[in-house]
Amino acid sequence: MKKKKIILNVLLVVLVLGIGAAIYGYREFNRKSESITNKTADFKVKPLDIISAFTADEKAATLKYGGKIIQVAGLVKKVEKDELGNYTVVIGDNSSLSSVRCSIDSLFSKDVSALQLNAPAFLKGICTGFNADEMGLGSDVILNKCVIVKD
Amino acid sequence: MKKIIFFISVILFAGAAVSAQDKYFTKAGKIHFDATTPSSPENVDGVNKSSICVMDAKTGNIQFSVLMKGFEFERALMQEHFNENYVESNKYPKTEFKGVITNNASVNYTKNGVYPVKVKGKLTMHGETKDIEADGKLTVKDGKISATADFPVTLADFKVAIPQLVADKVAKTAKITVDCVLEPLK
Repeated sequence: MKKKKIILNVLLVVLVLGIGAAIYGYREFNRKSESITNKTADFKVKPLDIISAFTADEKAATLKYGGKIIQVAGLVKKVEKDELGNYTVVIGDNSSLSSVRCSIDSLFSKDVSALQLNAPAFLKGICTGFNADEMGLGSDVILNKCVIVKD
Repeated sequence: MKKIIFFISVILFAGAAVSAQDKYFTKAGKIHFDATTPSSPENVDGVNKSSICVMDAKTGNIQFSVLMKGFEFERALMQEHFNENYVESNKYPKTEFKGVITNNASVNYTKNGVYPVKVKGKLTMHGETKDIEADGKLTVKDGKISATADFPVTLADFKVAIPQLVADKVAKTAKITVDCVLEPLK
């Protein structure tokens, strides 16, 4: 009788664990790339500082900033819109070709209208790396899935 | 004397203007990666919307630079596996292509139209460099050039290993699609 109860309890635990694992697996498999709007920035930077860090040592800066949430504070140099309606906000100094290019999360495209050229703005996004100036186009730090933040 | 200086200046400026119009570029090129197979439970595809492309209309030279962490997948887990297990984007952050349009002479960059092109060059991905050939299309419209192409990339050629567990769910040869709108480099 006692043995039966133990086996039953073990089976119950195995079943609960199995269901838990299945739910975890299902949720993990279906997990979408979520917006970073509610996530805290890992680093708060100015365009010149992060561009300089990548220019000085691209490998070290990629290890430090790559895949991290970066909040950048600077002047809006340019707002680009492609044929599919995707926005890229270019942050930096007008006197330099180098910039931080922020590819806007399409869920927040409407927020771009609040930005003004040559006015300060705060954006946060996931750093995907650095394009050094090998083609005469200036150096750029690239941020993806960007959202506009208050400060 | 003044006249001579004036003419020299005109010639120099005209030369600069011509050479400036030779180059076209974008910093927002789209590269689509698709490794879906018939047995994939969902699409195995991602898109990079921040690729750099520079093209020289005079020589036909064309160059791409793509940050691997910039590929966006619908499913977060897929994006993590792509970066961590397959292309190892921390170790190999960039993919580059340097090539030439072999039939560049057949493209009239000053006349609106659609021009089929052949591109040949070297693709460096995951630390490996291989020769690539692709058929594409250049659409010249009002001074801008839309460049499109697609070509297969065999992942094993670039030492990208697919784990045995998902071997039948991820294509051994991925389809790469390029879609860029290039503007004159001023």
